[in-house]
Amino acid sequence: MAGWFSRRQFLINAGLAGLALKSPSLFANTSGTPSLSPIMRQIPGANESIPAIGMGTWITFNVGGDEQLVAQRTRVLKTFFDLGGTVVDGSPMYGTAADVIGEALDSLGAHDRIFAATKIWTGDESETRQEAARSGRRWGLDQFDLLQVHNLLGWQGHLETLKQMKANGDVRYIGITTSHGRRHREFAQIMEREPLDFVQLTYNVLDREVENRLLPLARERRIGVIVNRPFQGGSLFRRFQSEPLPDWVGEVGVSNWAEFFLKFIISHPAVTCAIPATSKVEHMKENMGALYGALPDADQRQRMADYVRSL
Amino acid sequence: MSGADWLSYSLQDFVMFGPQVFLRLFVRINQDLWPWQVLAVVAAIGIPVLLFRQGRNARCLAVGLMAVAWAVSGYGFLVGYFGPINWPAAWFGWAFVAQGVLLAAAMLFGGVHGGALSFGRFVALWLIVACGLPWLVLAESGQWQALALFGIAPGTTAAAGALIVAVITGPWRWLYLPLLVLWSLFSAAMFWVLQTSWLLVTPVATLLLVGAGFWLSPRPARSLD
Repeated sequence: MAGWFSRRQFLINAGLAGLALKSPSLFANTSGTPSLSPIMRQIPGANESIPAIGMGTWITFNVGGDEQLVAQRTRVLKTFFDLGGTVVDGSPMYGTAADVIGEALDSLGAHDRIFAATKIWTGDESETRQEAARSGRRWGLDQFDLLQVHNLLGWQGHLETLKQMKANGDVRYIGITTSHGRRHREFAQIMEREPLDFVQLTYNVLDREVENRLLPLARERRIGVIVNRPFQGGSLFRRFQSEPLPDWVGEVGVSNWAEFFLKFIISHPAVTCAIPATSKVEHMKENMGALYGALPDADQRQRMADYVRSL
Repeated sequence: MSGADWLSYSLQDFVMFGPQVFLRLFVRINQDLWPWQVLAVVAAIGIPVLLFRQGRNARCLAVGLMAVAWAVSGYGFLVGYFGPINWPAAWFGWAFVAQGVLLAAAMLFGGVHGGALSFGRFVALWLIVACGLPWLVLAESGQWQALALFGIAPGTTAAAGALIVAVITGPWRWLYLPLLVLWSLFSAAMFWVLQTSWLLVTPVATLLLVGAGFWLSPRPARSLD
């Protein structure tokens, strides 16, 4: 990864500068903070930062061999990179999503712009390396930045192998995932005793159970947190998009519901990165708007949660 | 995983593609097959014509065409196009091929009866299936290339195949039924999650047509006449 960060940062800044000239309103400075700086989060225990908004690929990138849709998803990924994103998360469980990401990375020549995260998803605990290698071929990568055990499936065996892979330099970071609030007790036990770099879990303005135990534990154990289902699988938009945003959210750099939901998440001090998924360029632009500007403080976060509950 | 974990899953968690991608499958296969759709149309017309011609061979040929339709829609659409984005679809694709083999075996080994069918009722229902159901995908997607033709699209093929229950005998019929029921339930659940409400008509129609197949089947007393 020598030289990787500086080149990536150069590309990000070049893209942002170009975009700012075309669409100044996207980066409107509402808080006095430098408007062109993406919100970066340090990976706990590592000398590396990543953008606080990443991209998930569940459902959205599973388009099979449809060339028209592959081209369209490539435009989504290009927009993501152009607006400063790097973290892309996938899983072998997501059908053809890995192949589509690989094809898009090839088209964009963007293999060096990505923080690549995928999962080990097999009940065969002896298959860890083979599955990582298969995923690497599909993404077109020699190695992943982050490998995670998907939904704790066969986690004991996979995690042991992942620790060895990390020690050998075959992967930079390792972790475990859950979603929909499942198996949190067991998840916490693993966080307490295993040397994890990341955990991935579900957190959004309505699903806040992780605030009680898992997020404080992640801070205590210096584990990075990737947040999936930030829009509750799209249901937050279906429920609230027709409602007006509160007047005061301009103070926290929010101009649409996507930014509202995402800034609520990434402003939690334990959260490293949220990974919304989308199949549309316009929605990607809205999501990436949350990577800039001010963030709500603790009081403002409470007002955001109260407002949503009041609707 | 514990039982409580499984209960925390919803149908939505098992559908890992969006409606746009699913509806595009019909457009893609029609574009790739063009102009061979004409063979599917000929088969859709030929099956009822052959069923009502005199002689056992004509009826067996009709069942043989239906067997080919099962296999082609299973291998072509389900394994080739749908399977890559949805693994269960590939399994169903192979089950469709097996259903075709089963029908062919019924045709060869005396599983097709020669009793008289009600021409008017059968043809009316067949026309509704072969000419009506293909338009539902078009209504859902808004693209005329998405026509779900008999012999290509699995839903239309299964619905038409349900009517063939009327000419299969005894144990062959009971072997033929499970896929019709399982496919209808699977596709109905999928369309429910995808919120493609027009498409729900096809699996519901398939289940009703299974009943119609029994209803149209000659009674033993009539067969003996």
